[in-house]
Amino acid sequence: MKIKLNNTVLGILAGFSLISCGDDFVEVQPPYQISSSTYFTSEDDYNNALVGAYDVLQSTYANVILGEIASDNTHAGGESATDVVGWQQVDKMEQTPINDNLDDVWDWNFAGVQRASYILENQDGFDFAGKSQILGEASFLRAYFNFELVKWFGPIPIKPEGQFVLGEVTSIPRSPEAEVYAYIENDLKFAIANLASTAPQVGRVSKEAAQALLGKAYLYEDKFNDAATQLTAVINSDKYHLYGTEGDEDYANLFEYSAENGPESVFEVQYTGTEGAGFECLQCSEGNVMVGFSGVRGYSGPVFEAGYGFNLPTQEAYDAFSDNDLRRDVTVLNIEEWAAETSASYNTGNPDPNTGHTGFYNRKYLPRQNENQGDANLTQPNNYRAIRYADVLLMAAEAIVRGNGNEGQARGYLNQVRNRAGLENVTSSGNTLLDDIYQDRRLEMMGEGHRFFDLVRTDRAAGTIAGFTAPKNNVFPIPLEEIQFSQGTWDQNTGY
Amino acid sequence: MNRILLVLFIFCVPLAMHSQTFSVSGTVTEADTNMPLPGVNIIVKNTSNGVVTDFDGNYTIEGVSTGDILVFTYLGFAPQDIVLGNQRQINVSLEPDSQALDEIVVIGYGSQLRREITGSVSTVGDETIDQLKPVNAAQALQGTTSGVNVTPQSGAPGAQSNIRIRGVSTNGDNTPLIILDGFQYNGGLTSINPQDIETITVLKDAQAAIYGTIASNGVILITTKAGKRNQTTRISYEGYTGIQETTRKLPVLNATEYALLLNESYANAGQALPFPNVSGLGSGTDWQDEVFDQTTINSHNLSVSGGAEKINYAFSGSHLYQEGIVAPDKANYRRNTAKLSLDAELMDNLKVSTKLFYTYSKSRGINNFGLGSVLFNAANIAPTISTDQDNLDGTINLGNEVVNPLTQIENTFNSNIVNQLSGTFQATLDYAKNLSLQGRIGFNTSNTKTRDFSPIYNFGTGKIYTRTDNSVTLGKINDNDYTFDLFNTYKNTFDENHDVTFTAGMTVFKQFGEGLYGSRTGVQANSWEFADLNTATGTGEDQTNSSYAYDLRLSFFGRLQYAYKKKYLVSAMFRRDSSTKFGPNNRVVYFPSVTAGWVISEEGFFGESGFIDFLKLRGSYGVMGNDRIGDFLYLSLLNGEATYVLGPDQALVNGNALGALPNPDVKWEEAKKFDVGLDMTFLNDKFDFTADYFINNRDNLLIPNIPVSGIYGTGAPGASSPTVNAGSVRNKGLELSLSYKETFNENFSMNASYNISTLDNEVTEVNGTDFIEGGGFGVGQLAPARMEVGKPIGYFYGYKTDGIFQTPEEVASHPSQSALGAVAQPGDIRYVDINGDGVIDANDRTDIGNPIPNLTMGFNLGLNYKDFDFSVYAYASTGNDIVRNFERDQPNVNRLNYRLDRWTGAGTSNSVPRVTTAATANSVFSDFFVEDGSFARIQTVTLGYTVPLTFSEKTGIERLRIYGKVDNVYTFTEYSGYDPTASTGAPIGGGIDNGFYPLPRTYIIGVNLSF
Repeated sequence: MKIKLNNTVLGILAGFSLISCGDDFVEVQPPYQISSSTYFTSEDDYNNALVGAYDVLQSTYANVILGEIASDNTHAGGESATDVVGWQQVDKMEQTPINDNLDDVWDWNFAGVQRASYILENQDGFDFAGKSQILGEASFLRAYFNFELVKWFGPIPIKPEGQFVLGEVTSIPRSPEAEVYAYIENDLKFAIANLASTAPQVGRVSKEAAQALLGKAYLYEDKFNDAATQLTAVINSDKYHLYGTEGDEDYANLFEYSAENGPESVFEVQYTGTEGAGFECLQCSEGNVMVGFSGVRGYSGPVFEAGYGFNLPTQEAYDAFSDNDLRRDVTVLNIEEWAAETSASYNTGNPDPNTGHTGFYNRKYLPRQNENQGDANLTQPNNYRAIRYADVLLMAAEAIVRGNGNEGQARGYLNQVRNRAGLENVTSSGNTLLDDIYQDRRLEMMGEGHRFFDLVRTDRAAGTIAGFTAPKNNVFPIPLEEIQFSQGTWDQNTGY
Repeated sequence: MNRILLVLFIFCVPLAMHSQTFSVSGTVTEADTNMPLPGVNIIVKNTSNGVVTDFDGNYTIEGVSTGDILVFTYLGFAPQDIVLGNQRQINVSLEPDSQALDEIVVIGYGSQLRREITGSVSTVGDETIDQLKPVNAAQALQGTTSGVNVTPQSGAPGAQSNIRIRGVSTNGDNTPLIILDGFQYNGGLTSINPQDIETITVLKDAQAAIYGTIASNGVILITTKAGKRNQTTRISYEGYTGIQETTRKLPVLNATEYALLLNESYANAGQALPFPNVSGLGSGTDWQDEVFDQTTINSHNLSVSGGAEKINYAFSGSHLYQEGIVAPDKANYRRNTAKLSLDAELMDNLKVSTKLFYTYSKSRGINNFGLGSVLFNAANIAPTISTDQDNLDGTINLGNEVVNPLTQIENTFNSNIVNQLSGTFQATLDYAKNLSLQGRIGFNTSNTKTRDFSPIYNFGTGKIYTRTDNSVTLGKINDNDYTFDLFNTYKNTFDENHDVTFTAGMTVFKQFGEGLYGSRTGVQANSWEFADLNTATGTGEDQTNSSYAYDLRLSFFGRLQYAYKKKYLVSAMFRRDSSTKFGPNNRVVYFPSVTAGWVISEEGFFGESGFIDFLKLRGSYGVMGNDRIGDFLYLSLLNGEATYVLGPDQALVNGNALGALPNPDVKWEEAKKFDVGLDMTFLNDKFDFTADYFINNRDNLLIPNIPVSGIYGTGAPGASSPTVNAGSVRNKGLELSLSYKETFNENFSMNASYNISTLDNEVTEVNGTDFIEGGGFGVGQLAPARMEVGKPIGYFYGYKTDGIFQTPEEVASHPSQSALGAVAQPGDIRYVDINGDGVIDANDRTDIGNPIPNLTMGFNLGLNYKDFDFSVYAYASTGNDIVRNFERDQPNVNRLNYRLDRWTGAGTSNSVPRVTTAATANSVFSDFFVEDGSFARIQTVTLGYTVPLTFSEKTGIERLRIYGKVDNVYTFTEYSGYDPTASTGAPIGGGIDNGFYPLPRTYIIGVNLSF
């Protein structure tokens, strides 16, 4: 017996097998994995993506501690003069384009921009009540990260329509600062229009937070009237007051856990110690990495935990407070006095007179004794008070004075802050009033990462910060590898 | 050449009959045994008149006339031509064919005569496998095939081997493709019973291109044994039992030497002596003696094969049990296999064939490689500690890792059970003249069950093994795949001179599976007996973790083979693949290749009888792919970290964020393989010589986590840079093999073969980053191996030493070494200031070794004298370096005895640094730890005796052979560690010996019996 098969039958057979097995056979999705192509199809997707954008805020600890080290307030500190070399360089204003820590600031803030853009570029994916609130928050976050980037690096690449996609580094130029600020303003205006005054959850953004950030951005642009408008709107919302001025509040607790997300908090970056973290991914920590790094080396005693001894306030900064200024002992821990008082023991690290041990620590963000997970130096739960009402009052005062507005109103804002610190009213006006505002701003905001940028934007950095040369040091160098990735699309900042 | 023509003729031409003048009949027998030989083809030359012998070897052929030539052919036997005179009865006895040129070699979707092959193809037959009797079939390739390097992953029972065909070509997966009886086999070679294997064929060059995107690491084709048609049932038993032992112990210090050396190191650091009184310490505990055992291995294999006129079959079952030479009760391997092979001719033009393989394996193991392994502990624990001291508190501080290895063994409990079923069903239909259609489906399905129990035990404070709660971890993994092939073969000869074979078809491959894992503390009674999730009462982690793999591939291929007068041979192959592995922009790929050969010995000018019997020049070039790359690298998945703190209670909330940046252009690695070769036999085919020169370029290597601009958000938690095709590696080398076969008389014959392969490996491109790092040395040290342009892949990167500082003046005049961890003192290692910047720091690291051997060779010798047979297999590997990384850098651990030659003052040593417990820079990764890994190994020596037939016939026994064999007889090497083959097999970071479990030496006696 033989099977007879002619070529037609065979052809049909072969053809059938080909048709049933086209190349779409290999088009599969990974099972049980969430793929970007099918995302943003439910309300949950938007909420979950927003958590992802907020997550990156925790990495901005790097901006805060390095911003403070860059200023005249503190020394880099650490174990030795070469401990965290990138910070040591910035302390001496000797930073170069090869600086891992500046690279972190670049990478992490752009990561925040990308995650916020991911939501915004998909804003039409699915409709639900409350979407505008989420989009408003995403816009705020994108503006927040972009504002950090423009403060640090000046002109940056921007792409308002969405995420940067692989390859665009060679085609998207660095936009001039004015364009970056216009982008930030637009995002914040959108946020203000869409955000509720009461945030949906503790830790999320309110309309007033967006107004405060917009006012701050205007201030950096020297748009004083616009700034004053936004900042006074926050003040007039009557949602906030200076902590320690009402009820049983005690100003001394402003930077303790008990005052977190309190009445003075306009916008606050949230941290916790309930999840462990490691050095291989500092930006992954749910804790405030800056806090452990700021702790007293080898500390053993009450209240505080040990840390790595970075970001050490200088004698000059300590002395800038008058003896009766309540803020001094809230802001700076004088370790010798403290040790004498409490019998605490500690070590000193970096002995370099220009970058090392001072005897002072940044008390606002020292690790407090708590039950955080290991590595305990990386998981301190102290929230970062990103925008405080005191900051808003001082910025408003400054904007009004510099915008030739009502000096009485400005003095009032300033005096609210001074009174809380146990100081008497000022009665100055004109440039003296402005100097008073500047001086009080330094003292009020010391340890919170603003000083360097305040000095730069008011042209007071040269001569104040050792080693600072203008205009070179007004911004930091673009990381060398970024210049290389851009293949000539981006120029390095002048002087680097 | 006539033989070939005839073989082809018989295959190609349907049988027919014509009337002629008279008929001839007779019996065909096997010359060796005088047994009748059924199925022999008999054909009248230059006609289509032919017959086949029946079950008793008888035949009758009609219609022949005087002067006709009868040609008797049977696969595996030399053909015979008989010129017809007036005889009517012709009995013929056929001799087994010793002509390797006429063996049929599988080449993927077809087969070819060895003499017509135009690619670089090596084969290992069952004879070799039979002599070696390896536990793992991969070992049969070591030393027997040029260009193939096999290194066991460990000497532990059941360990897999790393097979590298023509070197290391990728920073990814270098494992060759294994095709078992036509289908892709993913079980690893240890799961195949070596005694089921008929031949192993290795496709080393563009010959493999028919396999397209899975071919670039080379292809190993395994053909298993089948029965023969018209053969009486043959039952064979093969069994052996053996004793295994370690080949080597590390030369560590005894208790007194240890105490004295330790005292000196404390004194050098100005510390109090740990052993103020060393008298009475004696030699202390020899920990290696305590952990190594003489253990057993045994194997049984029973097979049955035979066939009728239209059907043939082979069944086999085997059992292997191997104990480890360390902790045989806790580390052992059991493998049971069953195989069924059935071929049937259902109709004249329809054949079906089915094969099924079942493997059950159960392995249990101890921690056997690296920091914290049993052997690592045995080499590092102090000899002053007694064997019964389980808790090391209060004794000398050995750091957190080093514990009593015997206690460690006692507290090791695990099992790993794999049940695997693989098989293939194939059908061949000769549906028209010269045309046949073959369809086949092959599959693998395996279920793996793992169980691991860590009891509560106190090894001492701070020891990493100390547990205050126990835990049980279970895993169940299911893997499945199938291969479906459908292809058509056209074979014809035109005008006698033009042989054409055309094959075209398609293959579908699909792989999928999932895993389920769970662990829980609180195991009842702290006992392995109750180690189950069900009865454990504690907390669990990963209770329902599940994983899933998915891989689909669709391929079309074609191959055209053309031969003109059997002299000029050309083949061209083409394959089109589409695969889930590749990005949407590169989903489909085409792989072309061409091979050609010129049989010079067929040319007229070559002459008839000369020194050379056969000479063929061949060349090949082709493009192949490697699809063993990560899954879904082109997809943007939301598997990044998105965790923030929200709400009044400051609670963690989880969301979604993008993970690794996708690369929509991700594609296969591309191999471009060039080969020229020469096949030659000479002196009456007694010598067989093959030479090959090859250049393999592997392009588009995938560089994981390649640095990209931060603007893409790769700095976000859980995000990472994409994997990009951005590297190239070139391997080139020369392979020579020579074999010799001679039968001197009926009592004495011999065969010998020698092969040698060179290999030159160089990374030719790494884009987007300067280098890729890998491997590990010591604890917390910089990565010791790199992939970098201009260097061999995975070369060792560390400090170069320049002897020992003898005097303070020498130290003072040398650049500061303090950046390496401590200020140098006399007696410390002097490092070279490679970049000449006046300080020794991480920038002074340089190339200090190559993990890839540049020369490998194998030698095999077989002698048969009367009823005795003797064989030796040996191989050697030279030119590679190996890193000694089994010495724990901790002040109180035991030391190798070379430390006795330490520096103790100016002029005492210029190679071994002083001992001290103070901080030094002597343990940073430098060439002090790099040794020559060259070795030569006598792998197997066998002596067998076949009991003469006259004796065995009385018992109905057809063949009875008893033999003694020694495996891993002796290794010539200067390497100080257990075994110079020590390597993880990693392309970057291989060749680092973290305390390799040595291959055992095995003494075996065995029996082969067939009825």
